[in-house]
Amino acid sequence: MIRYILQRLAGMIVVMFLVVTIVFVIVRVTPGDPAAVMLGPDATPQDVADLRTKLGLDQPILLQYVFYFGQLLRGDLGQSIFLNMSVGSALLERAEPTFFLTLFSLAIASVIALPVGIYAAYRRGSFVDQAATTIAMLAASIPSFWLGLILMQFFAVRFNLFPVSGYGGPGSTLLDRLYHLALPAIALGLVSSALIMRFTRASMLDVLGDDYVRTARAKGLAERHVVLRHALKNALIPILTVLGLTAAVLISGAVVTETVFGLPGVGNLVVSAVLRRDYPVIQGALLVIAGIYVLINFAIDMLYLLVDPRVRY
Amino acid sequence: MKLKLAFLLATALVAAPSLLSAQEKGGVINVATIGEPPTLDPMVSTADLVGIVTQHMFETLYTFDKNWTVTPLLAESLPQISADGKTYTIKLRSGVKFHDGSDMASDDVVASLNRWLKLASRGKQVVGFIDKIEATDPTTVTISLKQPYAPLLSLLAFNNSAAIIIPSEKQDEPMKEFIGTGPYMLKERKADQYIQLTRYPGYKARSEASTGYGGARHQYLDEIRFVPVPDPNTRVEAAVSGQYDYIDSLPVESFDKVKASTASQPVLLKPFGYPVFVFNTAQGVTANVAVRKAIRQALSMEDMMAAAFGSKDFYALDGNIYPSNFIWSTDAGVDGAYNVADPEAAATAAKEAGYKGEPIRILTSRQYEFHYKMAQVAAEYLKLAGFKVDMQVVDWATLTQRRTDKGLWDIYISHSPFLPEPALIGSLSTSSPGWWDTPARKAAVDAFTSEVDPQKRIALWANVQKAMYDDVPFMKIGDFNAVAAKSTKLDGVDPAPWPYFWNASIKK
Repeated sequence: MIRYILQRLAGMIVVMFLVVTIVFVIVRVTPGDPAAVMLGPDATPQDVADLRTKLGLDQPILLQYVFYFGQLLRGDLGQSIFLNMSVGSALLERAEPTFFLTLFSLAIASVIALPVGIYAAYRRGSFVDQAATTIAMLAASIPSFWLGLILMQFFAVRFNLFPVSGYGGPGSTLLDRLYHLALPAIALGLVSSALIMRFTRASMLDVLGDDYVRTARAKGLAERHVVLRHALKNALIPILTVLGLTAAVLISGAVVTETVFGLPGVGNLVVSAVLRRDYPVIQGALLVIAGIYVLINFAIDMLYLLVDPRVRY
Repeated sequence: MKLKLAFLLATALVAAPSLLSAQEKGGVINVATIGEPPTLDPMVSTADLVGIVTQHMFETLYTFDKNWTVTPLLAESLPQISADGKTYTIKLRSGVKFHDGSDMASDDVVASLNRWLKLASRGKQVVGFIDKIEATDPTTVTISLKQPYAPLLSLLAFNNSAAIIIPSEKQDEPMKEFIGTGPYMLKERKADQYIQLTRYPGYKARSEASTGYGGARHQYLDEIRFVPVPDPNTRVEAAVSGQYDYIDSLPVESFDKVKASTASQPVLLKPFGYPVFVFNTAQGVTANVAVRKAIRQALSMEDMMAAAFGSKDFYALDGNIYPSNFIWSTDAGVDGAYNVADPEAAATAAKEAGYKGEPIRILTSRQYEFHYKMAQVAAEYLKLAGFKVDMQVVDWATLTQRRTDKGLWDIYISHSPFLPEPALIGSLSTSSPGWWDTPARKAAVDAFTSEVDPQKRIALWANVQKAMYDDVPFMKIGDFNAVAAKSTKLDGVDPAPWPYFWNASIKK
């Protein structure tokens, strides 16, 4: 098993190296110029060229890459061109809204999807199953930002129950800030619940017909015990996978939803960095996001070991 | 009970006049902006958003009144200009303090103006004319020019790429401390979350009545918070729900929706600015002035403006570069050259100009949806006139980079607010993308910029506009209005291209 873990860690390093290189190249070959954005529409080409020199963007790409790589090896993600702070600080500042948004969305999605998915599988073909499957299909087809706009229209504009956008002003308490997350978390949670519910249902259906479930029933165990203790435990692997990947998608920034609700999270940071071509922030944020994906996949693999004793590497 | 009512009524009658007589002091407002400004140093950026936020923190020697006339701000009065137009003697106000508590003096002004000449795009526009800037005494600064340059005062008054005055010992580049003399000072900036400005207790307001950006700045509010709300639909919903006190830059289609709300009312700035199609006069098919004229002949400005702004409540057809409420308004050169919409005649003209079917590369962006809508209409008219069109739709950052390369485009689409001084119009500069550089331009622009007499300058501006229509470095499409919204509780905010809140107050 240790050998397996070491192999996975080596693989992770290769993946991260490729991510650094590919992101660096894509960012540099994409048209657009941070100097032109910084200086505004009436700046002369000479002003733009001067600022490019100051930012080191006039250097050959290979030289810039070597410099950036050296910086990364020293644990430095670089300095934002626009934010007057380091990329690491910018990401840390954005971690709070994104973390709580992910947490709440995932909680909402799980609370809805897991019981409904289990029940739909258990009562396969029933009205509840058909209704849940249809609603899940619809929910999966709805973009979360659109659902967010609808929720905003009703709960923020018409009934004034929640703020339309933002993440609290100066001196706001954590509770204030979390209150601003309600609508986007519901929007993301509802849409994510569709996928998780369908996976839960399919996975439960796979195991409910297995011999050990029949045996458990023949032993006279209560249905609740059979479904939750025997079937669900074995159905958990694909459910964990989809939960993990949903978390990764949310952590990496529910890009459009964060922008629509004006949340200063990681997704919003990436969007604004791309629009203003803040190269160090784009590179740093994508590197961290890729790292999170890799780590979550690694964690899921490790969880398999705990959930299923048959899994051995 | 009757007695109680009578008492309440009497109290109300006594209190009412005092409530109505003065604006309330205190309170916090939240201003929804279109995004996060790229910097808080207004010298280094020409972006409007930078000017909107930082004009509350930093001040210039001069500013503009409600008629767009230059008026003193940190200077005590308008400068004494020598008879030959080459020496400006500027007397400074006394008792003005920076946010760090230090006094503003002439050495701060000299250091700041030198920084402006070195860093600011508009400063660089002036630097070639400057001989020297000296502190004559602690409250007097003298600017000596090599030759007369009339736009100098307007450039010193403008709020983006601005000649702000900061302490002489805090001239870092990039700016590290944001210390100005403005009515509000920076308390905290959380990028993409808020910029928090608080009232500066040591502010010394001018004694004259408020007028436009000039006169007294009252500081009624305790705090102003600028909150980025980048999504335009969210800004509309925020206006309707009343979450913000002022919401900048709303889509014109939202006007009726905001008007119907009880929390906010629309603010219409009429007119705000003008969309332009800028030609590449240096290279490619549009380097030929006859082709540029044929393109202009083909286009319907009316259809483009209608597609871009919908109702005539939000746009006007006007070929004059400046609309009638500016002293610069003139129809020189416009007749027969604006909104011609004659693709057939344009086809003939293009043939005579030697056009051989080369694609006209139109560079546009959907970041400003009205640019894209106008480009679509233009493309159809150009096709009717036999032009081949290559529409290149990119994001704004890409456009600003590509337009600097002469080999990549023929037309790019942009827009501008009506600038108080015509010499500030970017396309008049030979280095501005478009690279308009003809003897007619030089003769007209040089005469305009070197004339000091305001009345003569008005006539000389007409010559510049005529040269623009003759050489076609760009086409003005029309005038458009800007829509914003303000809370029904907010007082003292006038429609302005760069909205300001130092005279705003909250109704209690």
